[in-house]
Formats: sequence, structure tokens, C-alpha cells
Amino acid sequence: MSRVRLQEVTKRFGAAVAVDRISADIAEGEFVTLLGPSGCGKTTTLRMVAGLIDPSSGEILFDDQVVNAIPPAKRNIGLAFQSHALFPHLSVARNIAFGLEVKGRAKQETAARVREMLEMVELADYADRMPAQLSGGQQQRVALARMLATDPRVLLFDEPLSALDRNLRDTLKYSILALQRRTRKTAIYVTHDQSEAFAISDRIFVMHEGRIEQSGSQLDIYLRPQTEFVANFVGDNNALRGEVIGVERGAPGEPGQLLIQSGSIRLTAADYAGLRLGDSVLAFVRPENIAVMPVDVDAADPDTIVGRVEQIVFEGPTVQLLVDAHGIPLRVAVSGLERLRLLDAEQRQVRLRLQEVSLVRDRVGQPAAIA
Amino acid sequence: MAVSVETIVARPAAPEPRRFRHGALLAVVQHGYIWFWLAIFAMPFLATLFYSVQQTGGGLTLSAYQYVLGSFRDNLVLSAVSTVVTILVNLLIAIPAAYGLVRYPVPGKNLILSTLNLSLYTPAAVMGISLVIAYAFLFRIPQSFIGLIAAYVVGTFPLMLVPIIVALRDLPMVYEEAAKTLGASRWQSLRRVELPLLGPGISAGILLTFVIVFNEFLVTLFIAGPNTTTAALRVYTLTRTAGFQPSTAALATTMQLVSFLVVLLFFQVFGSRYLKGTYLI
Amino acid sequence: MAQTTLPQSLPAEPAALPLTEARQTRRQTLIGVGLLTPAALVALCFSIVPLFYLVQVSLTRGSSFFFTPEYTFDNFQTVGTRYVSTVWQTLKLASLASLLDLVFGYPFAYILIRKVRYREFARTMMTFPLFGPLYLAFGMFYILLPNGPFGSILQAMGINVANYLFSLPATLFAMAVFTFPFMVMNMGAALSNVDPVLEEAAKTLGAKPWQIFTRVLFPLSRGGILAGFLMCFGWNLGVFAQPLLLGRLQEQNVLSVVMYDKGLIQFDYGLAAAMGVVLMALAFFVTWLSLRFSRGALGT
Repeated sequence: MSRVRLQEVTKRFGAAVAVDRISADIAEGEFVTLLGPSGCGKTTTLRMVAGLIDPSSGEILFDDQVVNAIPPAKRNIGLAFQSHALFPHLSVARNIAFGLEVKGRAKQETAARVREMLEMVELADYADRMPAQLSGGQQQRVALARMLATDPRVLLFDEPLSALDRNLRDTLKYSILALQRRTRKTAIYVTHDQSEAFAISDRIFVMHEGRIEQSGSQLDIYLRPQTEFVANFVGDNNALRGEVIGVERGAPGEPGQLLIQSGSIRLTAADYAGLRLGDSVLAFVRPENIAVMPVDVDAADPDTIVGRVEQIVFEGPTVQLLVDAHGIPLRVAVSGLERLRLLDAEQRQVRLRLQEVSLVRDRVGQPAAIA
Repeated sequence: MAVSVETIVARPAAPEPRRFRHGALLAVVQHGYIWFWLAIFAMPFLATLFYSVQQTGGGLTLSAYQYVLGSFRDNLVLSAVSTVVTILVNLLIAIPAAYGLVRYPVPGKNLILSTLNLSLYTPAAVMGISLVIAYAFLFRIPQSFIGLIAAYVVGTFPLMLVPIIVALRDLPMVYEEAAKTLGASRWQSLRRVELPLLGPGISAGILLTFVIVFNEFLVTLFIAGPNTTTAALRVYTLTRTAGFQPSTAALATTMQLVSFLVVLLFFQVFGSRYLKGTYLI
Repeated sequence: MAQTTLPQSLPAEPAALPLTEARQTRRQTLIGVGLLTPAALVALCFSIVPLFYLVQVSLTRGSSFFFTPEYTFDNFQTVGTRYVSTVWQTLKLASLASLLDLVFGYPFAYILIRKVRYREFARTMMTFPLFGPLYLAFGMFYILLPNGPFGSILQAMGINVANYLFSLPATLFAMAVFTFPFMVMNMGAALSNVDPVLEEAAKTLGAKPWQIFTRVLFPLSRGGILAGFLMCFGWNLGVFAQPLLLGRLQEQNVLSVVMYDKGLIQFDYGLAAAMGVVLMALAFFVTWLSLRFSRGALGT
């Protein structure tokens, strides 16, 4: 049984389609992230789950019950806002007590719960402060405590950390994960920051133009992007346009190997997309998955190519190279001690080995019917 | 060498006092100008105050103030009551109207707002003459208390409406949404979240209504009868009929003093932020 | 069978869904209209209907509107002939007083916005005139009394207050002081929208103070200045108490005062209404201009 289910949920604002027939199943206790650039419909989706806006069509179900007609106040959800949204006229304790008070809980029960929540977010000494007297991180922790105080069924996060500075974001995202793990509540987290999504999610939904482009684990998203958008949006990537020139069937249950020709570059890649001989493909290679060697090493290997280093940028933990490989510019990231040997490699020839290549069917020039 | 070092140090120092004196003079003139006008604003009040406590033949006395709580008591009570009633009616119609205009998709908002604000731009005498005719021949409520209140309400509720609209626009939707997701009903959210946060805007509206209605005399002059003479109108009629008496001055002083204290209190508590773009400041 | 039922039910679904959304919007609109209704009713009954009625009465002959109304332009003709001096006097007093506000208000607003730290205090003091022209004229009268405490001081300073007690300058001054805060409010808003950095930039480019004013400050604050002037003018058009308490008969010949006499003393409602319509038209025109220049009090 899935705790939260979206069925063909669509939201139109006038003629614009903000969310386009999204379907998703989110299991009890699962931590799901909606990841995408601004305007991709992720916040709209979250707000429909919260009940703050109504879907134009489709159904939203909690525990197999359609909740479309249930107002947010009755949905028993907790929503963390981008701007913490603490009531400025109420003290920390009164903010946390708010949800309990409007539900008419007994005074003592409320007070005990508020204390418990304050201790959980380690702000027990701040009960009587006003929100304006707290730091940004403390405010967001109070907001989390307020959201959890009423013991909601589903936790919703609308970019709760985007207004904070980077160090605070890094610590708070783990606090959020820890709170979710401790309370074992289903959580939907919206963000445009992939490092946040990667750090805390059980599953990531990458959204683009109102649709879910791909869902899966961090590894799926990162190593096996299924669309061009995902490959480009998540992490850095080199894109090579090419054609399948060889197919090698794998053992049962194993993906086959494909041979791709892109200009004068030849690549091998695992086949996850069901491609056939002659298909046009986009091959993606991450900068850190390109090995750099001296030209004379492995010279006989057909899977390596020779390129000329055009630019070197030392970024501390990595060195970024721009390599011209037979007219194709490739970005290469080298880490480890090896990077230090490359610092004076500009204008020199190097040998590259492109590894962990992922493939996406190239839809350019294909009949529209496929899309 | 030592000489050149000295000249380098001395050169910029020499013109400094002159420039300073010039700047100080300018500052004195500028602040003097401000204070001159601030004094002008307060002078009529102070003159009235002095006159009300002046004794014939020198010395000071508060004897004129016995009239304030004596023969003027009914007028003051009427002023206070009509001010309070007007404020209440204004609140009752302005808060929903502000919500309708800001939070709901009503067509023709600008036209509606202009229409509601029409009375704000109508000269008091025009409002007076139109109401006195309409009350006498159209509504048949001449010289009535209800007519008085209706005139005050229509003349001042835009002053209540505008600060509330400003405050409501400045209030992010996110607080209402947070209240909703925490389980609050529409009414709970209004009472516990929005109204407290709109407090300064609403208070600004109350202040403006108070200042205008408490001191209004011109519309009142047109529509009031013998039983609906407010304190401000009494100041006017006494001045026209009995000349300038210390007792009249005492009443005028009392009215201004009360008004000023209320304004002072408001500025202390809320500042002048929510009065921007309105009748006051 | 299946083929005939399916096409009937399928198109109905997608069509029904947007309809509910439209219904939702319509419901929201209805709630909004409902919330606006009390305010709109008050405005309708006590502002719009009386004003239209005023127009009707102004177009009615004599006191015939008690029986069968007889429509005529006579009242406006009377205003345009016998009372044309009243209209001119009103316009003259209003424009002179507003001009005084403009000349004295601009430096006041500039210094207040740029140099003064006690702005809250200044704002508090500026509320005195807003308690109404009546107290103001009343207080001015005491100031100008030759045997009053202020009068004797002014006499000692060589100002013969008796010359000013009932005069044009006294009337104008009381009018200008009453509307001064409106002028300062509009100018202040316009000036505080001009970034002081622009003045500094002009200074570093070698502009002299008067050049900074004519080339930077004035062009950028023109709208607010004009709006302030027109707002003062609009308020001053309805002047009543100041001429009555501080002016001569000449100054008392303004629309509000004459209108009161005609309507409530002589019961010539038609003529009073016609004067009211003229004054209303002038005031609305000026307000409309003022709002155009300040782009609406609410910035819409």
C-alpha cells in the first residue's frame, strides 16, 4: 500500500500547463525528492499534495483514499516553507503549539508536546524568544518542530533550505533526514539543488516542464540518465552525438554492450535503453569518468583517443581540463595526486579513455510519433 | 625635508575649520527652517491653549474648563460616541472589502476602489449639501443620528480601507498557508494569524477615522440638528454666535489635546509606516 | 454496444474537469463580491446616490422639485453670471495657498528627507494642522489678536497684527498651513524615491547645487511635486473656516461658504446644488489629474 499516490495529476494555469499528467507512488516511510529547475512544476505538485491548490484533473490519494476534496487543514500534513513562515507575532513555543491549539488539544498535552519538540530540535532554551530574535538556522529548526508537533502523516518540504547560506544548508539537510528517519514518516522534498537531493533521498524524481523525466535512486539518475535533460541537469556531462554500429547481447539479466561511433571517436556502453543497430544516440560521459594518460600508454587500445589539452583550471580538489579530441571539445575532471602531474600539460597531447558512458536515444530528426 | 613633511600635513588642515563652519551654518539654517515650520504647526494650538487659561487682568486660571465638562458635556459625549460607532462600522465594512479586493478575483478592482474612494475626493461642503438634500427629500432622515453616522462612515471608511489594503498586500500568503497546513480553519487563521498581523494597518485606519470624525465640523454643520451638535460643531457655532470666548478656546484645546495624545500614542506603538500613502503623512 | 457508449462517455470527462475549475473561480469571485457588498452599498447610498441627486436638484427650477420637477439650466446660468466672482475667488485663494505650499514645502520636504533624523517627531508635529482648519483658524485668530500674548510680542517685533486680523494674507496663511502636510507628504514620497547617490554622482561630475536641482532632483521628483500641488489645490477648493474666521467679506466669497448660505439659510436648494456640482466637478478634475501624476495612492 502506498501512502501517497498521484494519478495523472495535471495543473493548468490558464493556457499554461504547470504539471502534466504526473503519476507517482510513494511508499510508507519513503523519502522522495522532486528535483528540477525553477518552473518545472515541482512546487506546484507539492502544493497540490498539500491541498493549497487544486489539480485541474487527476487524483491525489493518501492511503488509497482520494483527498482531492479534502482541505489542507484536514489532510494532516506538515509543510515546511521556503521562508520558514514562522508567525512573527508568536513566540517560538506559541508557534510550535499553534497546530495543537487550533485542533483543540488540552493545554497540558500541548505544553508537554511543545517541550518535547523543542528538545528534539535542541532549542529548549529558546521557547520564549520571538522568531525575529533567532538565526536563520534556528528559525528553520523551529519550523520543523512546528510541522512535526501535530504528528502529521506526510511531511512536505518546499525548498526549506534555499534561503540559508551553504554551511547551514549542509548541516540542516542531515538534520531533516535524521528527523525523518527517526519519525519514519513519508516525506516529499522539493529542491533544485542536486547535492541536497542526493544527500537525503531514498528516491529522486527529476522533473522538467511539468513532467517526471526519470525516477530512481541516486545511482540510476547519475549513472543511467534516461533522457537528455536528466543527463545535462544532473551533474556535468559531455554529450556526443553518434550512431550504434555494433550490438553485443549480454547474458540473461545483464545489459548488452553497444559500440557507438561519434565522429572519429568510438565508445562502448552498456545498453539500458533497448537500442538497435543504426539508432541515433546521444552518448554522455562525465568529466570525472574520463581517464587521462600519456599518449604512449595503451596506444594500441581502440577504445582510447588522443586529444590536445586546450585549457587547464586548478580548482583545488580537481583539475578541469578542456581537451580537443578530433575537433570535439571534451571536459575532463582529474582528481587525486594524478591531477598535479597535469598542471603543465597545456598544449600537449594526452590519451583519453571514456568510461561509464550512458546512452539516450537521440530524438532529433526522428519522427515526432516516438515522442 | 622636515619642512616639506610639515607643509603636506598642514595644507589640508588649514581650510578644514572654514569648511566646517560653512557646513555648520548650513545645518543651522536647514534645521532652523524645519523647526520654524514645526513651531508654526503647533502655534495655533498653543495660542488657543494660552487664551483658554488666561485670566482677565493677568494670571492663569482653569475656570474656562468647567464648561468642558459642564455645558459642553453632551457635545463631547456625542463626539465620542459617534467616533466610536463610526470606527466600528468602518471596521465591519472595510476589513471584508479589503479582503475582497486583495485576495479574491473580483473584476474591475481599480474601478471599485475609485468608486469607494469617491467620497474622499468630494469637498466636505459638497458632501454636506448633497447629504442634507438627500436626507431631507430622498431618505427622509433629516438631522438624525443615523444620518450623521452614515455621513461619517461614507466619508472615512476609505481611510480605513487603504491602510488595510496596504497591510494585506504586504502580508505574504505564506502565513495563511502555514496556518491551513497546521490544521487551522478559515476563521481560526483569520483570528489567530491574519488579524494580529494586520494589526498595525487596522490601527492606522482606526487612527485616521478617529482624527477625522472626532474633529469634523463642516459636513456636520450641514446635516446636524439641535440634538446632533458635536463638540467640533459647537466650537464653530459658538465662534459664529458668541465670538471668541475662553470657554470655546477650552473646548477647542481639549479636542486638539485628546487628538494629539491619541496620535502620539499610535506613533509610539506602531510608528508611521502604515500611514504612508494615506491622509496623514 | 460498447462502440456506441464509449464515444458518448469519453469526451464528457475532459470537458467536465476544466468546468469545475471555472466554477471554483466563479465561486471565489462571488465570495469577493459578497465581501465588497457592504462597503459598496454604503458608498452607493451615501455618496453616489446623493451626488446624482445633487445633480438632479441643480437642474430643477426653483423649488418646483417638491411637486413636478421642471428641468432647467437656470441655476448654472446664475452661477455663471451672478456668482462668477465666487468661482474666481475660490480658484484664486486655492491656487495662491497651494503656491505658498509649493514654495515653502519643497525645501521643507527636501531637508526632512535628506538631513533630518527626528523625522518621526516632525511627522507627529505635522498632525496638528490635520485636526482641521477650524481649530487652526481659531488659533490663528488668537495669535493675531492685538491684545493677546502673541499679538503683543508680534507688535513689539514691529508687526501690526491688527492689519492682518481680517485679511487676505491671514486667510491664505491659514489655508497654506492646513494643506502643508499634504504637500510635504507627496514631495517627500517623490524625493525619497530619488537615490541620493544620483546627487553625489552629479556632484562628482562637477554640477553646482542649483544644477543638481534643475537637472537631477526636479526632473526626477516632478510627478510627486505636481501631485502634491494638485492635492493641496483640491483640498483648498473646499475652503470654508479660514475665510470665515480670518478673512474679509471679499475672502468669504468662496463656493463652500456661499453654498451654505444659499442652501441652509436661504433654502435655495437649486442654486446651492448647482454650486455644489461646480465645486465637485472642479475637485474631481483636480483629483483625477493628481492621481494621474502620482500613479494612484496605492501604486496601481
